[in-house]
Amino acid sequence: MAKAPSMPSAPLAPSRRTTILFGLALVAILSFLALGLQWGQLLPHDGGVEIAGNFFAAAVQPAFTYEGSDYLPADAPAFLVKVGLALWRTLLYAVAAISLALVLGAVFGVLASEGFWQGRRGGAAIRLLVRWFMAVLRSVHELIWALLFLAAIGLSPAAAVMAIALPYGGTLAKVFAEMLDESSPAAANALHGLGARPLHVFLFGRLPQALADIAAYAFYRFECAVRSSAVLGFFGYTTLGLYIRQSFENLHYREVWAYLYALLILILLLEAWSSQIRRRFVA
Amino acid sequence: MSSSPAFELAGVQVHLGGRPVLDSLDLRFAAGDMVALIGPSGAGKTTLLRVLNGVIAPSRGHLKMFGQDPAELSEARRRQLRADVGFVHQDHSLVPNLRVLQNVVAGGLGHRGFWSSLRLMIRPARAELLRAHQLLERVGIGDRLYHRTDSLSGGQQQRVALARALFQSPQALLADEPVSAVDPARARDMIALLTTLAKEEGWTLVASLHDVALAREFFPRLVALREGKVAFDGPPQDLTESAADAIYRLDG
Repeated sequence: MAKAPSMPSAPLAPSRRTTILFGLALVAILSFLALGLQWGQLLPHDGGVEIAGNFFAAAVQPAFTYEGSDYLPADAPAFLVKVGLALWRTLLYAVAAISLALVLGAVFGVLASEGFWQGRRGGAAIRLLVRWFMAVLRSVHELIWALLFLAAIGLSPAAAVMAIALPYGGTLAKVFAEMLDESSPAAANALHGLGARPLHVFLFGRLPQALADIAAYAFYRFECAVRSSAVLGFFGYTTLGLYIRQSFENLHYREVWAYLYALLILILLLEAWSSQIRRRFVA
Repeated sequence: MSSSPAFELAGVQVHLGGRPVLDSLDLRFAAGDMVALIGPSGAGKTTLLRVLNGVIAPSRGHLKMFGQDPAELSEARRRQLRADVGFVHQDHSLVPNLRVLQNVVAGGLGHRGFWSSLRLMIRPARAELLRAHQLLERVGIGDRLYHRTDSLSGGQQQRVALARALFQSPQALLADEPVSAVDPARARDMIALLTTLAKEEGWTLVASLHDVALAREFFPRLVALREGKVAFDGPPQDLTESAADAIYRLDG
């Protein structure tokens, strides 16, 4: 050997680990102090106790009919029909948005992955460009995208769908790319070695290993899209959020709980569906 | 087949990460040669096999695969050269969550057109299916055609890798420690199978083996590497015990 072997650098020594943990705790405490947090504020006082009591009491008796009929228009649908329609529209927005986001995520996730560029030229520059673009898309939250679209083109279903699809597409692309590159490169290298084309090396050597994780994550993001779609109702879209806000402002807490339970049931159904599909992937 | 040797190395040097791994190798493997690569770990056996496969280009010197220097060819032509070389990897290098069938027919990816390759992997024709099954029968695991690959034992996966190489129908087969993961009895069976197939198919076979006794028993030619250089090249009877010891000796 030409030069003396250098000392291997030590892994994190126990004392160093303690310092890091201590530092992290200090950062947390500093942030609390900077915010002027007073945990006592979490406890309701004065009239708040009664409001909180009413609100949580309503949880065990969600509404099945309208709570107050004074200002109801004559042609208002039955309450449960209204809940069902709100839920249906929430789901529709979510499906439309996640479909677009999946296309964005698949195309840019593949382009951002290292494995796709194995055996090709020009990968580094394109990957960097795609990763930056995806970071831009997801650094803006869907509610802020919704605000931007609202200001630019007004209240249209297309705007709501894009507001969810853009940041979700950015997140899906980033995570898909990571999942593709986490899979073992051994099979891909073998296919490259036996003369397969770069696209086939990727399609058959890389993609199959990541597919189960990709599907599970896509399902999880679909669930998130349902929640985002519900919240977009706060801007006036006819999803659950709109009616939750209206019922809340009218102090119809039992109606609020009915909408929340409807959302919960939808999420649980999606969960059951996704776990069934995941089982099929594993078998 | 042409009379040019399967592989020819002239002054081949390989540096990986700034470190010399192979040093001025001059080697010739004639068509149909059966060669065992021996030598201590880190001597450069795997790197040499990857050079022969055409996936690592020599830093210096020249390699000829079937009479052609891949460095002088287009990537498309290099790909065709690689398609003529099968490789059985130490870790099998199969796609774990595909069926055995798909891993076997993947051997055909190098020889086919773009669409034909897609169809082969997604919807193999009946003839291709039958061939895959027949090849699996030949390596002794015909009943595993539709099993998920990662449900097979290590030894069985090694046989799937061999069936993939058979489906590829290459001119040469390289094997990197093909029996490092199985017990001695199975190791012997595997080497016997490998050398029998090589004879039947007319392959040039180059296999790295850590078991010198197996290498002596099954291969008419041994090439020993030590620190990236050829330490021995000849028939097993010429390799004396003391010479073999010197190859594996630990230096102070």
